[in-house]
Amino acid sequence: MSKHQVTRRQFLSYTLTGVGGFMAAGMLMPMVRFAVDPVLKGEAAGSYHPTTQKVADLTDEPVRVDFTYKQKDAWYESDVTATAWVYKDKGTGKIVALSPICKHLGCTVNWNTNPDHPNQFFCPCHFGRYEKDGKNIPGTPPPQPLDLYPFKEKGGYLYLGKPQPRTEV
Amino acid sequence: MKWIPQDIETFLNAKEYIDTAVIPLVPLSFEEDVKQSAEMSEFITLLTGYIERQFTGRIVLLPSFTYLTHKNMDFLLTELTNWKSSVEQGGFKHIFYVTSDIGWKEYEDILGPSLLWIPSIPLEKMEEMQKWIIVESQGKQLLNLFSRKWRENE
Ligand code: FES
Repeated sequence: MSKHQVTRRQFLSYTLTGVGGFMAAGMLMPMVRFAVDPVLKGEAAGSYHPTTQKVADLTDEPVRVDFTYKQKDAWYESDVTATAWVYKDKGTGKIVALSPICKHLGCTVNWNTNPDHPNQFFCPCHFGRYEKDGKNIPGTPPPQPLDLYPFKEKGGYLYLGKPQPRTEV
Repeated sequence: MKWIPQDIETFLNAKEYIDTAVIPLVPLSFEEDVKQSAEMSEFITLLTGYIERQFTGRIVLLPSFTYLTHKNMDFLLTELTNWKSSVEQGGFKHIFYVTSDIGWKEYEDILGPSLLWIPSIPLEKMEEMQKWIIVESQGKQLLNLFSRKWRENE
């Protein structure tokens, strides 16, 4: 990766020049970010993470799929656990994998947990609701549909990419 | 929300929606219970992290209230009460304290139902996915307590 975008000399000057160095860092940071960002982005969008969900087992009823993967950021590599709600649409036969992150303020939504509104995604924080396909229900706080995971099938198992926002369903 | 500038910015813009503060209570020790102290810290960090993820849009997870074990409990209680009034002045309607330290149990009548005590589970030898399952199973029970409190105040 782009370890060499910042020269040794620059790094040394950050670390050795104290306060002045920090001020210089403030000026140089935008350039560094510019140099590093495209690489990180490319990696994130292009990678699919394996799950333990068999594609053949999917039905019309959304199931929760948890998966763990390694994420590298500037400081260290860490394990991230993410969740998707996945079902296979009866009508179209298509697989739908939804992000559980509420588009209002980011709580985690659950399927079919509000007895008053069955067969919807429900957000416990401010009672936001979504249709099964992720479409936000007007009159509840969420302003947008749930993000959609791109997916792949490999060896019978479901692989999930990075959730993508949608403006409408 | 976490205690980071970007989340606090969201908090400032959506205060009417974010009305609950979570304060982890974490003991620190270097004596024979040093390892237990570390274990509680790990467990409570993961547990409150889980709660934060589930309820991002309604809670702010504050930095841990960290204290030396064997310190005078009355002193700690006074300090925690100071935290409480500041947090309330900061605009939070609900405060939850999450801890594995049994020492706080005695003060249940003072801290009331906001004290969530949950025994810590050693996670050191577990795979990431196993940890997640354990933390989730414990965390789920706490989520219900939050929801109940919110519903009471609807
Ligand atoms: S965060 Fe989901 S409704 Fe507010």
